Amino acid sequence: MAVARSMRRTSPTTILLAAILAFGFICFILTPSSPATPEPATSQQRQEDAAEHPLSPPTKPFFKSQPIRPDGHKAAPPVVHYDLNALTSTSNSAANGERLLILTPLARFYTEYWDNLEKLSYPHELISLGFIAPKTPDGNAAVAKLEKAIAKTQSGPIDNRFASISILRQDFEPPLASQEEKVRHSMSAQKERRESMSRARNSLVFTTLGPDTSWVLWLDSDVVETPKTLIQDLTGYDQPVIVPNCFQRYYDTTKRKWDVRPYDFNSWIDSQTAQNMAATMGPDEILLEGYAEMPTYRTLMAYLPDMKNLDTRKMVALDGVGGTALMVKADVHRDGAMFPAFPFFHLVETEGFAKMAKRLGYEVIGVPDYFVYHYNE
Amino acid sequence: MNRHVLEKGPAYSSSAFTISPNRFQPRSQPALRSRRLFQRLCLLGGVSLILILLIFPSWRVAILPTLSLGLLSSPNDLHLQTVRYYDLSEVQGSEKGWERGERVLMCTPLRDASSHLPMFFSHLRNLTYPHELIDLAFLVSDSRDDTLTMLSHMLEDIQNDPNPKMPFGEISVIQKDFGQKVQQDVESRHGFEAQANRRKLMAQARNWLLSATLRPTHSWVYWRDADVETAPFTIIEDLMRHNKDVTVPNVWRPLPDWLGGEQPYDLNSWQESEAALALADTLDEDAVIVEGYAEYATWRPHLAYLRDPYGDPDMEMELDGIGGVSILAKARVFRAGVHFPAFSFEKHAETEGFGKMARRMKFSVVGLPHYTIWHLYEPSVDDLRHMEEMEQERLAREQEEKERAGRKESPPQDQQGHVADNVGEQLQGSAEGPAAHPAKDEFPSDSSKQAEQAAKIEGQ
Repeated sequence: MAVARSMRRTSPTTILLAAILAFGFICFILTPSSPATPEPATSQQRQEDAAEHPLSPPTKPFFKSQPIRPDGHKAAPPVVHYDLNALTSTSNSAANGERLLILTPLARFYTEYWDNLEKLSYPHELISLGFIAPKTPDGNAAVAKLEKAIAKTQSGPIDNRFASISILRQDFEPPLASQEEKVRHSMSAQKERRESMSRARNSLVFTTLGPDTSWVLWLDSDVVETPKTLIQDLTGYDQPVIVPNCFQRYYDTTKRKWDVRPYDFNSWIDSQTAQNMAATMGPDEILLEGYAEMPTYRTLMAYLPDMKNLDTRKMVALDGVGGTALMVKADVHRDGAMFPAFPFFHLVETEGFAKMAKRLGYEVIGVPDYFVYHYNE
Repeated sequence: MNRHVLEKGPAYSSSAFTISPNRFQPRSQPALRSRRLFQRLCLLGGVSLILILLIFPSWRVAILPTLSLGLLSSPNDLHLQTVRYYDLSEVQGSEKGWERGERVLMCTPLRDASSHLPMFFSHLRNLTYPHELIDLAFLVSDSRDDTLTMLSHMLEDIQNDPNPKMPFGEISVIQKDFGQKVQQDVESRHGFEAQANRRKLMAQARNWLLSATLRPTHSWVYWRDADVETAPFTIIEDLMRHNKDVTVPNVWRPLPDWLGGEQPYDLNSWQESEAALALADTLDEDAVIVEGYAEYATWRPHLAYLRDPYGDPDMEMELDGIGGVSILAKARVFRAGVHFPAFSFEKHAETEGFGKMARRMKFSVVGLPHYTIWHLYEPSVDDLRHMEEMEQERLAREQEEKERAGRKESPPQDQQGHVADNVGEQLQGSAEGPAAHPAKDEFPSDSSKQAEQAAKIEGQ
């Protein structure tokens, strides 16, 4: 009797059957209740939007498993049609399902930047991200932190994940190893630094733009606070190039309270003085803003807002823009507007970009009373 | 429990006091107890886990895939790869790109090009650069014929080719209309007035194509027009071997014998000259200098005119402006921001502006004067008229000979009134595109042709 009982218990078949039965029970219990957990609203759309093959625009995710041909070879990439006539960029961007690409030249990684990005209320399945970082120790550190943050977000709740993310490492050395505030802003270093920055920006936009992007948002890695509705708001103006005012929060030690001050001085309306200066310059010289040695008397957007009487609907036509936060219709880049890495009408980088966009017949607009905030070093 | 049974087994057969080497020591009671405790804890844990899963459905997404070891795939898992990492220093482009697996983006703008497609695809199939390393990008714009459907079919065929070496990499067919009103036939295409605007629109189209299809994986970009008739299959490697930032071959076109046999085609590849720079200074900021027109005498050395059929095909010549029929450029040129200006850049637009901008950003731009590819010869309206005349002339001559054989009298000649018309047509024919038909004016017009012309007009 004892032997028989023990035999019954130890038989591997029994245990296997029991395990299968238990597993079946678990499946049975869990599966029917699945509808109770609402499938993330966007997963269906995400699956449909995904590209078949890894060789696809970086603004699309792709399926991890790849089809095999009957003869054993990997199936060739498919012929993909993109109708750019149907691609729109309108004031009602979210409702029209317009895809947006957020591009960030990564100097340093701030957790606040990423948190702010995650909080943006624009549907995340329509947002692709692009980063470019130099191959320096600083760049490596920033990318490592970025990848950690990405891994967390992209494996988190599906509705919160971004459509796709590209990380690029640039193929040229940045001119300055130091990102120190003082060195970075010295006038002699500016031209070199901004030309290098232009190349980084161009490398980023022209390799990641792809055929599905309607809007491009340039957002610097040190912009740590924006309204949650930043994208809806900026696209809502329906302008080809639009720039909000970039300010900075600081602790005012005399007044003993937190206050704001202007940060980005590259958004301006041109002046006759500046034009006269440009006329006398050599072809390789550039005009720079915010230096006492070079008074341009341009109207700076940073000083336009009247803090007591803010009106975010107010728009001004600009001649130069800053790149801390800059919303551009993808068509403007597609027509060729880029960040000149050489003096273009004595302007470089984002200011040169504004000039080029204007040469291509686009308007460049600023919203002086709409703020984003820069990190305080 | 069962261990006890087993261990007691041998005791029946042998003495309880003998120590057998096979005999197992009974497990000590505390060990057995902790084992049982462990089993119970496991059971408890399992049950509570199931309960928790039942109570908190949101946990399932996180826990189930790990528990089931992938056997039970959750419908919520997307199986999507969303993050990509690229190191641009690995895609700089080198002289032997095919050995290093460097990807090439091949861009071809198309408009009403269905008649050229079969020829273009035969070139494509014959390319010797590894096909899986070539990504194809087409822009179909403002087409009124069936370019798009034809292109799709031919691309599908090539991707499903049984030869595993035939299919190409990523294939993108971009549709975008720019509202081009300018006609594409040879006459209007090369009219001076239309040139500047046409070039700007072409530039826009090229930029749209490139910006939509350039990827961080590309080391090279090869621009190739669909209407190239003859080009070496090894052209990508041949141009790549020079390892320059931008390389263009010489572009000529064959002509019928009665037009001189051959002719330089692409006059947009040139070196800058003092005269042109001086001219540029006098022009308005938005003016565009186009090459090959009497309006702008630039005196620039052209790549096309330097060709020697027996010259060294590897010879290089530095250029400032380039033509767009066949350009091989390193992708880093485009990544740096060089593009086809759709505005007047240093008084140039499109491919010529591209050359200028590349030079401005200190990239090397070279042309190969003795390495020639041949553009398709499309007869102009005048040429067609000429050919028709020649054909009728031939028929007339045959007719004449027949009649001469039949009767002895020659046919009456009544042509005086129509000579003027014919001269008028000849004059019209001389206002033509860049370097078009230099040999044509030498073509002798004989009386029998005029007679035929007269007959034709009378017939109408």
